[in-house]
Amino acid sequence: MQFGRGKPKRGGSATLNMSSMIDVTFLLLIYFIVTTVFSPPEDQLTPALKVEQGSSSVETDLEPQIVTVTSNGSQQVYQIGDQTVADRSQLATILVRLPNDPGIIIRVDDGVTVGFAIAAVQEARDAGFERVTYVPVSP
Amino acid sequence: MTPMIDIVFLLIIFFMVAAQFARESNVELNLPAEQGEQDAEHDPSKLVLNILPNGEIVLDNTRGAIDLTELELLVEAVIAIDGATWQNITIRADEDSSTKILNEVLVILNRQGLSATRIATEQP
Repeated sequence: MQFGRGKPKRGGSATLNMSSMIDVTFLLLIYFIVTTVFSPPEDQLTPALKVEQGSSSVETDLEPQIVTVTSNGSQQVYQIGDQTVADRSQLATILVRLPNDPGIIIRVDDGVTVGFAIAAVQEARDAGFERVTYVPVSP
Repeated sequence: MTPMIDIVFLLIIFFMVAAQFARESNVELNLPAEQGEQDAEHDPSKLVLNILPNGEIVLDNTRGAIDLTELELLVEAVIAIDGATWQNITIRADEDSSTKILNEVLVILNRQGLSATRIATEQP
């Protein structure tokens, strides 16, 4: 048996077969394109924060309106004044009729979901309130 | 062929890095689907608090849940050492989580002197 270690043929050019590498590279590319999950764009709501202490209330000339987000038995509801609504579009209808200057307080009870409570903050912002205050209410 | 291979490699690197960042930074949550305030200026967060649907509070994917006592110490440290204000602390709460935990977190933030809060939403 002879193993040739001869000189390269005169005039011949050395070529590297790239096909396999390109195949692998394309497979990797496809894998990463398929598996990459881009997180959806996030925004933020920035209500002021106030914790109620005892039964003290600050008296001002412009008393802010209060929306209470609470659970009414099995249903989550928004209470504003003597009105109780479960639907955010009804809440929006009420909020746009209120004066914006005094600001608005969103009192959130413990037993509701975050999504339901944050909807009230969003509706208050959309109704044009500059001063939205989130008040956590724990029993 | 060489430019094409260059581009393909660049694409691969981009997707690898993007996938890695996405995995590390964000805890997967269903945030409340709200428009938010559409304010283009967001201060960078020095502390992100994730509230999971089961009520656990986690900072990121690499560490476990923390309790309210640890949270209070952490918030105190971030304010004292990093000079964080309320604009630098973001709360990412799952829309199905109970407001019980969110309220407790907000009470802690308020106790630490923060006058407002930043609650993350996901644009619908």
